[in-house]
Amino acid sequence: MIHKRLGPIARRQLLRRDLLKGAAGFAGAGVLAGTFPRLAAAQSGEWTLAISMRSLANPYHATFAAGGEAYAESVGAPFEVLITEGNSEKGMADIRALLARTGGKLVLNVDPNDSPDARVIVEECQRAGAYVVTQWNKPDDLHPWDFDPNYVAHMSFDGVPTAQAVAEALFEAMGGEGGIVALGGILSNVPAIERKIGLDNAIAATNGKVQLLDFQPADWNETRAFEIMQAWLTRFGDDIKGVFAANDGMAIGALEALRQEGKAGAVPVTGIDGIEAALFAIEAGEMAGTVAWDPNWTGGIGLALGHAVALGEIDIAAEPHEHREFYGTGIVVTPANLAEYRAMDAALDFGDFWGKSPGQIQYRG
Amino acid sequence: MSAPASLEVLGATKSFPGVLALDDVSLAIRRREVVGLIGENGAGKSTLLKVLNGIYQLDQGEVRVAGKPVQIRHPRDAFDHGIAMVFQEQSVFSTLSVAENIFLAREAEFLRGGLIDRRRLNEAARAELAKVHLDVDPRRRCAGLTFAERQMVEIAKALSLDTRIEGDITILLDEPTSMLEQREVDLLFEIVADLKDRASIVFISHRLDEVLEVADRVYVMRDGKVVHEVASRDATIPELHRHMVGRALHHEYYREARQAPGDGAAVLEVEGLTGRHGFRDVSFTLHAGEVLGIAGVVGSGREALARCLAGLEPPAAGTVRIDGRKVALASPSEAVARGIGFIPSERKTEGLVAGLSVAENMTLAALGRFTARGLIRVAEETKAAKSWIERLSIKTPSPATPVGSLSGGNQQKVVLAKWRIAGSRVVILDHPTRGIDVGAKEDVYTLVRDMTDEGLAVILLGDTLEEVIGLSSRILVMRDGRIEAELEAPPGGKPGQVDLIARMV
Amino acid sequence: MASGSLAGQRNRFARWRGLAPVGVLVLLCVVITVISPNFLSFSNLVRLLSGAAIPLVLVMGATFVILMGSIDLSVEGVVALAAVITSMLVLNDFTSADLGLLAVPVAVVAGGCIGFVNGFVHVRLKIPSFMATLGFGFAGVGVATAILGGFTVRIADRGFRELALGRFLDVPFSVWLAGMAVLVAWVIQERTRLGRWVYAIGTDEVTAKHAGVPVERTRILVFTLAGLFYGLGGALAAAQLGQGHALMGTGRLFTTITAVVVGGTALSGGVGSVLNSVIGVGIVIVLTNGMVLMGIPPYVQQGVQGLMIIVAVALALDRSRLVVVK
Repeated sequence: MIHKRLGPIARRQLLRRDLLKGAAGFAGAGVLAGTFPRLAAAQSGEWTLAISMRSLANPYHATFAAGGEAYAESVGAPFEVLITEGNSEKGMADIRALLARTGGKLVLNVDPNDSPDARVIVEECQRAGAYVVTQWNKPDDLHPWDFDPNYVAHMSFDGVPTAQAVAEALFEAMGGEGGIVALGGILSNVPAIERKIGLDNAIAATNGKVQLLDFQPADWNETRAFEIMQAWLTRFGDDIKGVFAANDGMAIGALEALRQEGKAGAVPVTGIDGIEAALFAIEAGEMAGTVAWDPNWTGGIGLALGHAVALGEIDIAAEPHEHREFYGTGIVVTPANLAEYRAMDAALDFGDFWGKSPGQIQYRG
Repeated sequence: MSAPASLEVLGATKSFPGVLALDDVSLAIRRREVVGLIGENGAGKSTLLKVLNGIYQLDQGEVRVAGKPVQIRHPRDAFDHGIAMVFQEQSVFSTLSVAENIFLAREAEFLRGGLIDRRRLNEAARAELAKVHLDVDPRRRCAGLTFAERQMVEIAKALSLDTRIEGDITILLDEPTSMLEQREVDLLFEIVADLKDRASIVFISHRLDEVLEVADRVYVMRDGKVVHEVASRDATIPELHRHMVGRALHHEYYREARQAPGDGAAVLEVEGLTGRHGFRDVSFTLHAGEVLGIAGVVGSGREALARCLAGLEPPAAGTVRIDGRKVALASPSEAVARGIGFIPSERKTEGLVAGLSVAENMTLAALGRFTARGLIRVAEETKAAKSWIERLSIKTPSPATPVGSLSGGNQQKVVLAKWRIAGSRVVILDHPTRGIDVGAKEDVYTLVRDMTDEGLAVILLGDTLEEVIGLSSRILVMRDGRIEAELEAPPGGKPGQVDLIARMV
Repeated sequence: MASGSLAGQRNRFARWRGLAPVGVLVLLCVVITVISPNFLSFSNLVRLLSGAAIPLVLVMGATFVILMGSIDLSVEGVVALAAVITSMLVLNDFTSADLGLLAVPVAVVAGGCIGFVNGFVHVRLKIPSFMATLGFGFAGVGVATAILGGFTVRIADRGFRELALGRFLDVPFSVWLAGMAVLVAWVIQERTRLGRWVYAIGTDEVTAKHAGVPVERTRILVFTLAGLFYGLGGALAAAQLGQGHALMGTGRLFTTITAVVVGGTALSGGVGSVLNSVIGVGIVIVLTNGMVLMGIPPYVQQGVQGLMIIVAVALALDRSRLVVVK
C-alpha cells in the first residue's frame, strides 16, 4: 500500500533500501563474527574480505560497507565490517585481531580514522602478508609503491573540480546569473576548503554574472544551515537566486527553511554527497543537483582490486603510479541525469578498476 | 505527673562505626511540658533529635507517641506523628517564599486539580505566622528575612502541625537562641510560653541559664547516655555543668590569672580604617600577648571589621600595619601571609573544608612548609597534625579522619591548629564558642591563654558579653560602625556588663 | 533594624539583576535593528520564532534539571531517537506505518522513558547526572543508528509536516506548540509541588531531605519531565526537517545549555526560572540571526557568541554572595 502511494521511483528506492538494510544487518553479523572466530573461513584457505570505517550512523559509510558486501557476495568470499567508532585504537585493535584470525589472508579496504593511522595499518598488513587499500585519509608522504605489493592502492576524491561542477549546475538552474548564498563546512577541514575553492572557481568563471552574496560556515549541520538560511531570507530576500551547500545535510536544512516560506523549488539549491534525501529533492524539483561519491563503488572496487592482487591476477608493483594513488569520481547528479544515475547503481561492475578515475591524486600545499 | 507522655524514648541505642552515639537512652516528654536537653557536643543530643526526626533509624529501642510505639522512617513520618523540628542549622530555603517554606513537602492539602492554590496557601501561612507574632508577607522570599525572622518562620512551620494532625504535637528546638540577640531571645521565650498551651517542647541549648529559665524539667546527656534528670526549680548551673562534663568546673572559668598585661610590642596598628560598608574610621593598636575584645550589637560593624582585617572584604580607606609594615588587606591570602589568622563563626562554610581530613585542614594555610619539590611530604604533615591533636586534645580517631565527622568543639580546635601551624601573629576569633558546649568552651579559653603566652595577639568577637569581659585585656565597644568606647579590663578590674551595654545601644 | 534596610537594598539590586538578561536581549535587538532595520520586520520575527520553537521546548526540560543543581547532557541523543521514532511512525519511506500526528505523543513518551532511565540510574546507582545523562545520550544515538543503519528516513506525511509548515495567525504551529510547552513548564514551576521541590533541592538538598521532600522521587521525575520535553523537541525537529536520522540532535546540547545559562539560571541550582530560559533562547536565536543580518564575518561570530555568554552570565551573577567559584 505504501508502495502505491510513493510512485515507481520511490519503490525503486525502497528496494535499494532493503538491500542496504541487509548491509546493516550484515555489519552486525560482522561485529559478532569478531567475537566468535569463524574457523571455517580460515581453514578453507580463502581470502577474507573486510571493510574498516568510522561508523554506520552516516549514509556514506553505510553505503560504502554495502558496496564491499556486494563484491564479496559476487565472488562468494567471507566478509567482515569493522567499525572504529571514531577511535583509532579500537580500529587498530580490530584490524590486528582480524589479521591474526585470518593468518594474514586478508584483503582490507579501509577508511582510516585519522591520517597517521594509515601508516600503522599498512605496516601491520605488510608484516602479516595481507593486502590493503586505503580511502581518503593518509599522510602525504606515505605511498603504496613503497610497500609493494601489500599496499595495493590509495583512493581519494578531489573536492575542487566536483564542487566546481555542481556549482556550475546550480548556475545553470538559475539561468546563468544572479546572487547566491553559500553554506560551508567546518573551515579547518580539508574537504570544506576544497569545496570552497571549487565554488570560487565556478563564480570567477561567470565573469561577474553570478555574485556571492554571503558565505557562512554551518559546520556540516542541517539545523545551523536552517537558521542561517532564515537570516539570509531576511537580509537578502528575493535577491537570493540560488543556494550552494558544501554537503547535502546543509542543503536540506536550507531547503526546509525555504519550504517554510513557500519557496521550496522556487530557489534552486545544490549539495554534495548524494544522500538519498537529496536525490529525492532533485526528483521533486526542489534541488538542482548534488555530487554522488558513489561509495557503493568505492567500497566494492577497493576490495575487488585488492582481491585481484591477492589472487595474483594483477602484478600491482608493475602498475603505474596513477593506478596506485587515484581519485574516485564524483558524479554530478542533476534532474537531467537522475534516472541514469539510479540505473548505474543497479549495474555495478567491479571488473574495471580504473575506468572511473579522473586521474592521479594531486597534493596541494 | 500522671499525664500520659506525649513522646517517649525507651532504651534507644544507635551506633556508628567506632562510636556508640546513643547508649540505652530513655526519656519522656509529658503533655504541655517544656523539657530542656543539655549535654556537651558529642553527648548524643543531635543523634537523638535525628532519630526523632526520621533521619536516623534506631539499632535498638523504640519511640512512643501518646503511649503507642511508632516507626519514624522519614521526616514526613515524624510530621505525621506530630513531631516537628526547628533545626540549629536553619532549614529555611532562601529561594522560596515564607508560605512555601512553611508548607514545604506538605503542599498536598492546597492542591486543586494537581495545582497549588496559592491564595489558600498564603492565607494558611498568614494564620501560622500570626501564632508566632511575625508580621511578614507570606509571599516574600526568605532571602530578605533576618535570622530571627527566619527562625520564627521555622517555628511557624512546626506549629502548623497543630491543626493538621490528631493528637498532641512535640516541637524540638535545637539551639534556637545561639544566633539571636537578647531582645529576640526574649521574644522567643514569650512564644515558647505561649506554645505550652498547644504543644510539648524540647529545648536544646548550651546556655544553661536559658534552659533553666524556660524549661520545666532538664535532662543531661553525656557520652550517649542520659546521666541526670532534674526539675528546673531544683537545679543549679554548677550542678548541671558538673553532670555535663563529669567533673567540677575550673574555679577560674576564664583563666584570668593567666591574662597577660598587654604591654608587649605593637603588632597590629589600625588607623582610620573604613570599610566598603558597615564601619568607619576605626583606629586601635594591638599588642603582643593581648586579647582585644570587641563588643557591639548586630549591625554595629564588628563582624564587618573582623572580615576586613581577615582580608575578606578589602577596606575603602585607612591604613593597617603589621610590625610596622603596611598591609593592603586585598585578599585573604595576603592576610594569611602577613600573619593574620581568622577563625570565622561559620565554621562549616568558611573555617573548614569538610571533605578533607583533620591533617589536611590543619596544614591548608601553610602547605608550602610541608611541600618539597612540588610534592606534599605526608609523613611530616601527619606528624605535625598528631602533635597538634595531642596539644589541643582534639578528639579524633586519627589525623586522616574527615574533619566533617568531628563535633563542633573539636572542629574549632582544628581551625585553631591551622592558624598556629600557619604561624599567625594575630588571630581573629569570631564567636569561637558559638554552638559548642561548656567543656569545649573551657578548652578554647585555655587555648586563648596559651596563644597569648606565646606572644600572639588575639582579637575576640565573643559569643556573650561575659565571655568578652572575662577573656579580654582591653575592650572596644562599637556602635553604628564606629568605636564608641575603649575600656581597660585588667584582672580584678573588669568592667561590668551594664557598662558595656550602656555604650552599645 | 539597620541590617533590615541593608538587606532591602540588596534585594532591590537582586531584582534588577534578575532583569539583566532581558536588558541584554533588548540591547541586542536595538543594536541589530540600527544596523539592519529588516530585523524588526514581521517576516523576520516569524522566522526568529520558528527558529526558536525547538530550542524553547528543549530548554523547558533542561531548566528544571539545572534548577535542581544537576545537568542533563542527553539532549542530543533523546532528540535524535525521538526524531527517528517519529519519522518511522508517520507516513515515510522506511516503514509502512502511518500514525500521523499520533506519532508525536509516542515520541514524547519515548523521550520520557529515556529521561526516566537517566533519573533512575542517576539516583539509584548514585552515578553523577553528568555521567549518567552523557552515557544515555550516546546510547540514544546508538539505538537510532542501530535502527536505521546509518540511513535517513524521509517523511512523506504532509499532514504531520504541517506542524512546522502550517500556520495559525501567520505563525507556524510549532511556535504555538512551543508556547504551550512554556506555559506548561511555567505552571509546573509555579503551581505544582514538583516545581517547589526542584527549588528546594537545588538550594540545599540535605535540608530539603530533612524537611521531608522526597528528593529521590523528585529527581527521577524531573529527569523524566526533561525527557518528555526533549521527546517533543525531537518530534518537532522531524517535522521541521522532514526526516529522521541518528545525527538529528547534533548541536542541540550546546544551544540548550547556553540558553539556560545566558538566561540567568545558575548551574549551581536553586536560582532561575523557565522564563529566564525563554529570554536565554531569545538571546541565542537573536544573536545567531543578527550576526548574519549584520554581515559579521564567520570567524568573528564565534568570538562574539563566546563573549555574549560571558557578559550575560557575568551580569546575571550575584557576586556579592559568591565566595567560591568553581
